[in-house]
Amino acid sequence: MAPAPLLDRQFLEKLERLTIHWEKSFSGLVGGHNSSRFAGGGQEFLDHRHFHHGDDLRAINWRAYMRLEKLFLKMFQIEPRVPVRMLIDTSASMSATSDQKFEYARKLAASLCYVALVRHDSISIQPFGEGLGDRFICGGGRHRFSPVMDYFGRLETRGRTSFYQTVRDFISNYAQRGLLVVISDFLDDEGCEKALQYLADFGHELLLIQIWSEEDRLPPWTGELELRDAESGSQVKLQIDDVAREKYTAAFDRYAAALEKIAVSNGGRYVGVSTTMALEDVIFGSLVRARGVV
Amino acid sequence: MFFFNLTFVQFAALLGSVSTVVVALYLLDRSRRKQTVATLRFWVTAEQPTVVSPRKKIQQPLSLLLQLVSICLLLLAIAQLRLGSQSATPFDHVLILETSAWMGARSAARPTQTLMAEAQARARAFMKSLPNGDRVMLVRADGLATPATVFESNRDKVEDAIEGSSPGATALNLELALEFGRQIQQLSARRAGEIVFVGSGRVSERENTALAGLAMSNLRAVPIADTAENTGLRKIGLRRSTTAPDVWEIFVSVRNYGLKPRTVNLALLFGGAPVGTQALALPAGSEQEATFQHRTRVAGPLEARLLTRDAYSIDDRAVIELPEQKTLPVVVYSSDPQLLRPMLEANPHVRAVFRAPSEYTAKQDAGLVILDQFRPPSPPVVDSIWIDPPAGGSPIPIRKQVNNVRLARWHSENSLGEGLRSKDISLESATVLEAAPSDIKIAEVEAGPVIVARPGKPKMVVIGFHPGRSSMRYELSTPLLFANTLRWMAPDIFLRRELIGGAVGTVNATLESELKPSDIRVQQQDGRALPFTLRNRTLHFFSGAPGVVRVTAADRELVYSLVLPEVAESRWEPPAGAKRGIPPTRPSSATAIDLWQMLACLGALGLLIDWIFYGRLGRTAARPISIRPNFAAGFVGRTRRKFSFAARSRS
Repeated sequence: MAPAPLLDRQFLEKLERLTIHWEKSFSGLVGGHNSSRFAGGGQEFLDHRHFHHGDDLRAINWRAYMRLEKLFLKMFQIEPRVPVRMLIDTSASMSATSDQKFEYARKLAASLCYVALVRHDSISIQPFGEGLGDRFICGGGRHRFSPVMDYFGRLETRGRTSFYQTVRDFISNYAQRGLLVVISDFLDDEGCEKALQYLADFGHELLLIQIWSEEDRLPPWTGELELRDAESGSQVKLQIDDVAREKYTAAFDRYAAALEKIAVSNGGRYVGVSTTMALEDVIFGSLVRARGVV
Repeated sequence: MFFFNLTFVQFAALLGSVSTVVVALYLLDRSRRKQTVATLRFWVTAEQPTVVSPRKKIQQPLSLLLQLVSICLLLLAIAQLRLGSQSATPFDHVLILETSAWMGARSAARPTQTLMAEAQARARAFMKSLPNGDRVMLVRADGLATPATVFESNRDKVEDAIEGSSPGATALNLELALEFGRQIQQLSARRAGEIVFVGSGRVSERENTALAGLAMSNLRAVPIADTAENTGLRKIGLRRSTTAPDVWEIFVSVRNYGLKPRTVNLALLFGGAPVGTQALALPAGSEQEATFQHRTRVAGPLEARLLTRDAYSIDDRAVIELPEQKTLPVVVYSSDPQLLRPMLEANPHVRAVFRAPSEYTAKQDAGLVILDQFRPPSPPVVDSIWIDPPAGGSPIPIRKQVNNVRLARWHSENSLGEGLRSKDISLESATVLEAAPSDIKIAEVEAGPVIVARPGKPKMVVIGFHPGRSSMRYELSTPLLFANTLRWMAPDIFLRRELIGGAVGTVNATLESELKPSDIRVQQQDGRALPFTLRNRTLHFFSGAPGVVRVTAADRELVYSLVLPEVAESRWEPPAGAKRGIPPTRPSSATAIDLWQMLACLGALGLLIDWIFYGRLGRTAARPISIRPNFAAGFVGRTRRKFSFAARSRS
C-alpha cells in the first residue's frame, strides 16, 4: 500500500493564496515579488539624484534638464529575486519520543515549499544535524511539487545536532544574503544562540520555527526515572515530582524566549509551534501573524 | 477463634504464596522506569538532584505493609475466621419428608386425616426441637429427591415448605433421598447435623433389600404409623382380539398389600355402564389378574373399579380412554369381483364395495380404489391399486408384455414385500413395467418389474398380472401382498394398538422385534418427546406425572395410561443404630461470631487507601502545570516598524 501523502489536495489549494515574505531589502536579480529599497531597473519610480559620470544616460530626466539645466537621474525601485533557503533539522531529537515532531516539521516545510512554488520562487532545502546535508533545489512552479514531496518522504532522523558546524558550513557555502527559514526543535546541548546570532550578523533574515512535542515542554512523568538523551545517549537518574516538572517547563520557556529575542532583535521572526496545534492554524495563524507568509 | 473454611496450614500456605506474589509485583511496579527524551539540558537547568545511589529496594514501605495487611485480612475473610469455640457452630440438618403416593392414604391413628398431614405435623415438631442457630434443608422425597429449601435458618420458610408439600404419584425412593442428603451435607453444610426421615417408609422389595446394609451415623427416623390393609389396582392391559377385531381383551391386575386375605369385587364400566364384574379372592401380599372381553368399535372411557373400602382409595379406580376402531372403505371396480372378494372381505379393517366398471367416477368417498383390468376415463383422486391395466391405460409406463414367465424375485427388503417368499410361480401373461427411480419394486420377472408401488399423494400400486387368475391364486403370497399393500397405503388404520393402564414412574415396555432407536417414538399426550433407553427388546422410560404416553414402534402402538399411583409393597425398617422419633427440645448454645464480613470490608478499605495514596492514581496522575496563556499559541516575534515601512513602500 502506498504511503499517505504528506499534504492533501484541499490543504494545498488553500495555500495557493499565500506568498513567502521577507522584511529586509536584498540585492538580487530582477524578477522577485518583494520590493527592495535598492534602486535599479524596476518599474516603480523611487527618487531623483544628481547625475554622475558613468550613470545610464537613459535614466536622465531630460525635462528637468531643460528647465533647470542640471542633470538629474531618475531612480526606480527594483523587485529582486532573493534567495530563500530552508534548513530542516534531522537530528535524533526530532523523533525522541515519537515521530510527531519530525512529521510535523516535514509537513510544515513542504507547505512552505508549495507556497514558494506557486509564486515561482526557488527554495533551497537542506537537512542538518551534525552538519549540513545535501541540498535540494525546489523551483519551477507548482507542477514540480511532487519531487519535493518525495524528497521530504526520504528524509530520516539520525545523529546529533551541531548548530556551530551547520552555520559554519552554511556561511562558507552561501555568500549571497537572503531569507533563511530554520525548522528545528533547537535542542542542541551546546546551545544554538551564538550560532544563530552569527547567521544574523552575516546579513541573513532569520525565520525561526521551533517545533516541540508536549513531552518536550510538559513532561508527564513523575517518580523515579532514568532519562536518556536521544542524541548523545547520556543518562541521568532523577526523582521527578511536580516542582521539578514546573522548573523544567520554566527553563524550556526561558530558552524559547531567548530564541525569540535573537530572531526579533536581528530583524527576523520566531514562531513556536506545538505538535498538538493543527498545521493549518499554524500557517494561517502564527506564520501569517509573524508575516512569514502573507 | 478458629477457621471455618480452611485449616491453619492451608491458610498459611495461601498467605505465603499470595504475599510472595504481592511483594514481587510491588518491587516490579516500583522499579525505575527508563525514558528517552529529546534533551537533558532543561532537567539540569531545573537543578533537580539525581537519585541517591545505591537505591533503596523498598521505596514506600508503608504501601507494601498496607497491601500485605489487606491481603491477609481478605484471606482471613475467605478462611471465615470465627470468634468463639468450634463446638459452638450450629448444625445443618437435612429433613427428608416423604411425599410418595402412599402418603395420600388415611392415617391409622387418625382416620380423618392423611398420612401426609401426620408427617407434616411430625416434621414441624422436629423443627421445634432444634436450637435456634441450626439450619434445615427440606427435601421432598418420592421417586425423586427434590430440595424444597436451601439450608435455612428462617424457620417460617421451612415450615411453609413443609405445609406446601403434598403426596405425589410415585413410590418412595429412599435410597436416593438419603444419598442426596449425605452429599448435600458434605458439600454445603457448615457443620453436618442429622439426616432426618419423616414418612411411612414404604419402599419396593428391591430397595428394601438394598437399604438393609445402610450405615449412617447421623440418621434419624421419624416413622408414621399407617395401616397395612389395602387392596389396589396394579395394572390394566387392553388389546384387540386377534380373532375378532371389534372385541377388546382386558386384563386387570389387583394386589392385596395387607397382611390378611381379602375378597374384593372388581367391576368394569364402559361409558358409565357396567360391562363385567368379578370377585377376586386375594391371599395376603398376593396379586391376581382378572380377564374381561368387551365388544365395541366406538371410542369411550373404560373404568376399572374395586368395590371395596380400604385405607388408600386412589388406587381403587382407573379410567382408560378406548380409541375408535377405524375401517378402510374400499371401492372395487371389477367385471369379475368374485376373484377379489375373499381377499378383501377376510380383512376386518376393510369395508369393501364392489361395482361394475361402468359405474366409475373419479371422485370417490372411499379411502382406496381398486381397478381390475380396467382403464378409467380419468385417474382416481384417492389411493389406488391397478390390477393388470390394459395397454395404454397404465399409470406406470409399460415396457412390454411377456407370456409364460416365472416370477424371478420378491423384494422383501421393503415393507411392501415383507414376508413374500413364494417361489416357482408361473405367470401365463404379465406386463413388465417401466419403474421410475423413486418407485418401489415389489416383484420382478427376468424382463423387469411386474409389481411396482409409487409413493406420493395419492399412493399407487400397479400389479402387471391378475393374482386371482395366475397360479398365485392358491399361494399365501396373494393375501399377504394385499395385506402389505393396504398397510402401506393406510398405516394408521392397520396400526396394532395396545393400551396399558399402569402407575407413573419407570415404565418397561417389551418390543416384538429389535428396532433402531430412530424407529421408535415415545411421546407424551401433548406431543412432547420423552427420553428413553433401549436394551435389546426392552424399552425404558420415566414419567413422573400421571398422563398418557404413546410408544410407536413399526406397526405397533403401545398407549400407556399412567393413571394409577405407584404404591410400594414393602416397609423399610430403620437400622438399629439410627435414632428414632422426635428428639427433646435442645437449648440454644452460644454461637461463634462470624468475622468474615468485617475482615473483608477492612481488607478492601486497606487496598483502596493504598490505591488512592500510593497507587498509579497517586503517582502518575500529575497535577497540571500552569502555562503562560499566550505560550501554547506559539511565540510570534516581529517588528511592527518594519512591517509599516514595507506597507508604505508598496503603496
